Amino acid sequence: MEFFEPVLNGFGVVLEPTNLLYCLLGVVIGMLIGVLPGLGPAATIAILLPLTYGIEPVTAIIMLSGIFYGAQYGGTITSVLLRLPGEASSVVTVFDGYALTKQGRAGTALGVAAIGSFIGGTVAIVGLTFLAPLVAGFALDFGPPEYTALALLGILLVATVSNGGRLKSLIAAAVGLLLATVGRDGFTGESRFTFGSLELADGLDFVPIAMGIFGLGEILYNLEERHNKVSAPAKVANVWPSRKDLKQASGAIGRGSVLGFFLGILPGGGATLSSLAAYAMEKKRAKDPSRFGRGAIEGVAGPETANNAAATSSFIPLLTLGIPANATMAIIFGALLIQGVTPGPQLVQNDPELFWGVVNSMYIGNILLLIMSIPLVGVFVRILRVRPAILAPITVLITLIGVYTINNSIFDIWLVIFFGVFGYLMKKFGFEPGPLVLAFVLGALLEESLRRSLLLFGGDATQFAGRPITAVLLFVFIVVILLPVLQKARKNRAAKATTIPTKHKESV
Amino acid sequence: MFHSKLALRSASTAGAAAVLALTLSACGGNVANSGGSDDASDFPSGPVTLTIGQDPGGSTDLIGRAVAENASDALGAPMPVVNKPGANGALATKEVANSTPDGQTLVLLNASLIAITPLAVSEDEAVKLDDLEVISGISQDDYVLVANAESEYKTVEDIVVADKPFNFATTGVGTASQLAQALLFKQAGVDGTDVPFDGGSPAMTAILGNQVDFATIQLGEARPQIEAGALRPIVTFSEERNQYLPDVPTALEAGYDVPVSQYRAIAAPKGTPEPALEKLREAVSAAFESEEYKQFNEENLFTPHEVDGEQVVEEWTANAAKYKELVEKYDIDLGGEQ
Repeated sequence: MEFFEPVLNGFGVVLEPTNLLYCLLGVVIGMLIGVLPGLGPAATIAILLPLTYGIEPVTAIIMLSGIFYGAQYGGTITSVLLRLPGEASSVVTVFDGYALTKQGRAGTALGVAAIGSFIGGTVAIVGLTFLAPLVAGFALDFGPPEYTALALLGILLVATVSNGGRLKSLIAAAVGLLLATVGRDGFTGESRFTFGSLELADGLDFVPIAMGIFGLGEILYNLEERHNKVSAPAKVANVWPSRKDLKQASGAIGRGSVLGFFLGILPGGGATLSSLAAYAMEKKRAKDPSRFGRGAIEGVAGPETANNAAATSSFIPLLTLGIPANATMAIIFGALLIQGVTPGPQLVQNDPELFWGVVNSMYIGNILLLIMSIPLVGVFVRILRVRPAILAPITVLITLIGVYTINNSIFDIWLVIFFGVFGYLMKKFGFEPGPLVLAFVLGALLEESLRRSLLLFGGDATQFAGRPITAVLLFVFIVVILLPVLQKARKNRAAKATTIPTKHKESV
Repeated sequence: MFHSKLALRSASTAGAAAVLALTLSACGGNVANSGGSDDASDFPSGPVTLTIGQDPGGSTDLIGRAVAENASDALGAPMPVVNKPGANGALATKEVANSTPDGQTLVLLNASLIAITPLAVSEDEAVKLDDLEVISGISQDDYVLVANAESEYKTVEDIVVADKPFNFATTGVGTASQLAQALLFKQAGVDGTDVPFDGGSPAMTAILGNQVDFATIQLGEARPQIEAGALRPIVTFSEERNQYLPDVPTALEAGYDVPVSQYRAIAAPKGTPEPALEKLREAVSAAFESEEYKQFNEENLFTPHEVDGEQVVEEWTANAAKYKELVEKYDIDLGGEQ
C-alpha cells in the first residue's frame, strides 16, 4: 500500500482540469508536429520551452512529454501515406507502411501502428512505474565515478548509433564537448574561453543552443529543402484492422514493447534506435523475410510499438539519475532546471507529485492519442497542406521571443541565431545535431565527475575499477568500442559463406 | 558636458539670441531633471524593477521576491522581479550599477559575491560596493557542517582525533561553503580535500550517498534531511548559535575562528537621489514589518538582519578584509590546488 499511495496521488494530480488540458494540448501538438515532416519533437519542445516558464512544473512537464510521445504517433502517418517520415523514429515504417498504402491498405497500416503504439506506450509506462523507483532507490550509490562512466558511455553510444556517419557523429560530439568547456572552471575559478565576457562566465546556456540548433537550424534547413512537394495523401478508408491483421501483428507488438522499453533506458537509445532494432528483429524472425518491404504488417507494428515504448522508458534515466538518454530528454532536462526542479535521485522522494503526475499523465495521453489516431486520423492528414512559407516565419518569431524571456538577455538571442546558422550548416553538410547537443549536456557532467572522482581517489585512477557499478559501465563502454571491430571481422567471414548480414545487427 | 560646450560656443559667437535661449532652456531642463526637490514626488515614476543575479527558485530569489511583494504597497508602485543569472550574480550587479541612478532599478546583493568570490576569481570579474548605494540589509543565512547520520563523527573534536585524510563537499568554488570548511579544517590541522559540487543539492546527494565524508550546506537546504535523521549537524559557522538549530554549537564555540554566513542586501546604483533612496528605505522597512514576510523568514530559516546601508557596507567590508586575512594567514587557495 505504501508504494501505491504516491502513485494514486499522482492520478489526482493528472485529473486536475489544468493538467488534463495541458496533457491534451501536448499530445495534440505532438501529433501535429509528428505529421509535419521536418520539425521534430526536440525542436518543438525547445521552441516551446519558454512558454512553460509561467506554469507549474508538473503541468509543464506533462505537456512537454505529451509532445514527445505524441510525435511518435503522428510521425507514422506521413511515413505510411506519403513515404515521408515525419520523425526519424518512423523511418523504417516507410518500407512496409507505404507498400501497404500502395496496396490500398493504408487504413490497416495506420490502425495497427496506432494500436501498437498504444500497447507499447502503456507497457512502458507500467514498466516505468515499477522500475523507476527501484533505480532511484540505489541512485545514491551513484557517486562521481559512476556518473563519469555513465556520461562516457552515453556520449559514445550517441555518437555511434545516430543516423549520420560514425565519423561525423564523433566530430559533432567533440564540438559539443568543446562547447561544454566554456565558462568559469568549477574547480579553480579560472575563466575558460570567455574572452573577458561576464555573459559567458557561467558557460553557454543549454537552451539557446538547443533552440538554435534544433529549432532555428531545422527551420532554415527545411525551407531550403522544400521537400513539401506534397502529393495528395491517399484516401484513408477503414482504419480498423481486421482480426487476421491483428493476429499477425500481435507478436510483433509484444516483442516491440519489450525491446523498445529496454533500449529506451540506455543512454543514446531512444525511439529511433529501437524502431530500427525492432524492424531488424521482425525481419530476422519472419518465416519469409522477403515479404518485408512489400507490405508486411509486422514491419509496421514492430517499429511503431518499439518507438513508443522507448519514448516512454527514456524518462527513467532522466527522472531517476538526472541523465538524459537522448536529445529530447536533454531538453526536458533543461525544462525541469528552468522550473527549479533538479532531476536526479532526490526527485522521486522530494517531488512525488511531479514524478507520478508526469508518469500517470502518460496513460491519459496515450488514450487520447489512440482516439486521435483512429477516428480522427483524417483531420491530421489535412494538416499536411499547411505551407512552410507561413509556418516558418511564425516559428522563428516565437523562438526568438521565447529565448529572450528565459534570462531577459539579448545575448541569448544572438546565441540562438548563431547556433541556428551553425545547425543549418551542420545539417547541410550531413552532420547530425543530436550528438553535439547531447555531448554538450553530458560534457559538463563528464568533466566535473571525472575531476571530482580523481579528487576523491587522491589522483589514483585505478580505483575506478574498484567500484562495481563503475566497473560494469566501463566494461560495457569497451564492448561498445570493440563490437563494430569484431562484427566487421565476422562479416568478412560471413560474406564468404554467402549469407546476407542484416545492417542493424549490433543494435539487436 | 554637452551643455557647457554649447554654452561656451554660444558665448564666443556673441549675442546670437536664439542660440543663447536654446542653451538656457537646455540648461534649465537639465537642472530640473537632476535637482532634488521634484524627485520626491516624482519617484517612483513607474514600476521599480528588482534584479536578481541568481536562478529562480533558489534562496536568493525567494528572498528577493518576498521583499518585493511586501514592499510594493508602501512604495506605491509594482516591483517586478527580473532574474538575470550569471557569474554568481556579478552580471546582474554590474548591469544595475551601470543603469540610470533614478531608483527605478534595484539589485539584490549576496555578501559572498563581494567578500568571498574575489578570493577565487580574477580581479576584473570582482564586484565592488563602491558602485552601489546600499538601501538596507535583509537577512542572514547560516551554513552548517553535516556528516552522514551513519558516520562515526559527531564533533569537530572527533574529526581531529581521527587524524586521517577526509573529503569534504562544497557547494562550489568561491562560495561561503568552501571558505568555511577550508578555514575550519586548516585551523584544526585536518587533512581535507575540497571537492566542489554544483550547488547545494548535488553536495547533499553526495553526503547522503556517502560519497564524501562531510559537506557544508545552507541550513534551509539541509534541515529536511537533518530532521529526517539522514544527516547529522556538527557545527554551524555563524557568530552566534542559529535560532533554528539551538543545540548545535558554532565553530567559534568549538574553538575555531570561522565566522562565515551568507548576508543579503538590497541596493541601487551609485548616485541615486537621496529622496528616492529614502522612499525605498521606508518601503523596505514596511516589508520587513509585515506578518507575511516574518512568516516567510521563519519558514525558510532566515535570520533577519535588517541593518541600514551604512552598516551593511561596514560589515561586508570588514568581512572581506577578515576573510582575506584568514585565507592568507592559513595559506588557503580557494582556486584549488589542481
